[in-house]
Amino acid sequence: MMDNPYRPIRTEVLEVITETPTIKTLRLKPDEVIDFIAGQFIELTIPGAGEAPFTPSSDPDKKDVMEVTIMKVGKVTEKIHQLKKGDIVGLRGPMGKGYPIDDFKGKEVLVVGGGCGLAPLRSLMYELFKRRGELKKLLFRGGCKTPQEFLYKSEISQWQKKKDLDLALTVDKGDESWKGNVGVVTTILEDLDMDCKNGIAVVCGPPIAMKFSTKKLLELKFKEENIYLSMEKNMSCGIGKCGHCRIGTYYACKDGPVFSYDKIKNFHEIWD
Amino acid sequence: MQYISNTNLFKLLDNLKNDYRVFVPVKKGEQRFYKAYTEASDDIVIGEVRPFEPLKAFFSRSREVVATDFSAEVPHAKDKPFCIVGVKACDLKGFKIQDHVFKDHDYQDPFYIKNRKDNLIISADCTCAIETCFCLALGIKPHPQEDFDINLSATGDGFVVEAGSEKGTKLIEQYVSLFQNAGNAQINQKDKQRDSIIKEVEKNIKENEVPDQENFENIIEKNYESKMWEEEAKTCVECGACTIICPTCHCFLLYDQKDEKKMARFRIWDSCMIKDYARVAGGANPRPKLYMRLRNRFEKKFDFFPKVAQVYACTGCGRCISACPAKIDIRKVLKQLVEK
Repeated sequence: MMDNPYRPIRTEVLEVITETPTIKTLRLKPDEVIDFIAGQFIELTIPGAGEAPFTPSSDPDKKDVMEVTIMKVGKVTEKIHQLKKGDIVGLRGPMGKGYPIDDFKGKEVLVVGGGCGLAPLRSLMYELFKRRGELKKLLFRGGCKTPQEFLYKSEISQWQKKKDLDLALTVDKGDESWKGNVGVVTTILEDLDMDCKNGIAVVCGPPIAMKFSTKKLLELKFKEENIYLSMEKNMSCGIGKCGHCRIGTYYACKDGPVFSYDKIKNFHEIWD
Repeated sequence: MQYISNTNLFKLLDNLKNDYRVFVPVKKGEQRFYKAYTEASDDIVIGEVRPFEPLKAFFSRSREVVATDFSAEVPHAKDKPFCIVGVKACDLKGFKIQDHVFKDHDYQDPFYIKNRKDNLIISADCTCAIETCFCLALGIKPHPQEDFDINLSATGDGFVVEAGSEKGTKLIEQYVSLFQNAGNAQINQKDKQRDSIIKEVEKNIKENEVPDQENFENIIEKNYESKMWEEEAKTCVECGACTIICPTCHCFLLYDQKDEKKMARFRIWDSCMIKDYARVAGGANPRPKLYMRLRNRFEKKFDFFPKVAQVYACTGCGRCISACPAKIDIRKVLKQLVEK
């Protein structure tokens, strides 16, 4: 019998971690393993309230438990923020296409993230750390509005100690505690110690950050086909049927959400 | 080719009621609607033109349960399948889109696929054209040529019958006593009628200056920045009738309901003309203005589908023209798009 693509898998909330005043990470244990690739997304159901799309932020190799980092922005996410340990939710997925990590082999890779966009990128970074030997170089550039809003602070401070990672962080607005760069994320994309022409760039963040980062990366001579973007659209069914997340001739849910820039650059409304 | 008399057709429908929920088009005033068939009556019109409701309503329901709790079982409706009678060629063309979306491309939709397999389609030639008909401009003739089980061509006292699928052939075999071989006179009458309806639609197209699909290539891209979109959208009231009534529109919304402990996931038809259609949780909306959504609707029909499914997502049925309270006329929009 045909599977039902609309059915959520019963999932237990193992832990709720408060990351920032508006962002929480859920540790989830689905009844059936959801084997995802970094960059793919899932639909999280709050029984009776509805579902919303999120990209897991955990290590794809940790099959039993999935972590999803969620900002409180709307109706469903508000309900998600009320979840407690032991609550039951639903998951559908994995959906769409993730990062083509195999194609990164032998390349210099730059990962750029802003705000909540750091969530899917954490999942990618776990993979890239494991495969660091295959990569020529690995650079990470992360930005946030304020130091308080930075996700995964303790983890990123561990990353800062890695000798094989070129890392820089920035905030739009600093405070007394902040010793790093102040400015939007493009301000730390200057003077990259890499061969941009042949390098890979992965960008995830709010649309405005992606737009200006892409512009900057093109100036730095990254090739359009080597810039990978995570498109935020209104994904609902997740299987290219309901129509909501169309981008030109694609649906973000089944053809994305990760697209190389060359694939979508000629479409309208990509940054809106 | 077979022939069935009016009386025998109703006998056939009476029999089909055992296995199907039979729906027939009936005329009320100047409009035609589908109605559950109970017995032969004078208001049933097998020929004429398409009913008000699009055929898609029998294949992806306007509201249906698609999941219950976390159960792996597909919650198919337990009712008998539909037998839809008097389906017109413009509606059958809708399958080119609906099949692409729900059945033939990438992921499959178990609900649509089951309905597509189980439902029975008894189509019929158009025996007149109404002012809004322009199927020929989209490459469709006003008589079914594919995607039916059996087709009926009215001859007055009965119908010339053609099987269009294995299911249709078997149906004729099963009720063989109700059919007879069609005579040459009946076949000639069918052909003559088909020609005369084509002429009527041709006249419509000429009078309304509807462009042919040969001219549709890149019309959206060429006119993307045109002021025409704002002009056309001025009177739109965002009711979504155009998308609901369209045989090719397929968009839906998933929503969940919880009743005591049981959870049900529904899908209902959605409309890209509604403001929040593409809005994301953070509040960003790629199409905040009505004219952008009107343009998007045309983009989906005349740019997206020809690129992904090699077919324009319009059947020339004219329903959106009749349904629009703002009198937005797809024929006039197309005319402007082609002229520029």
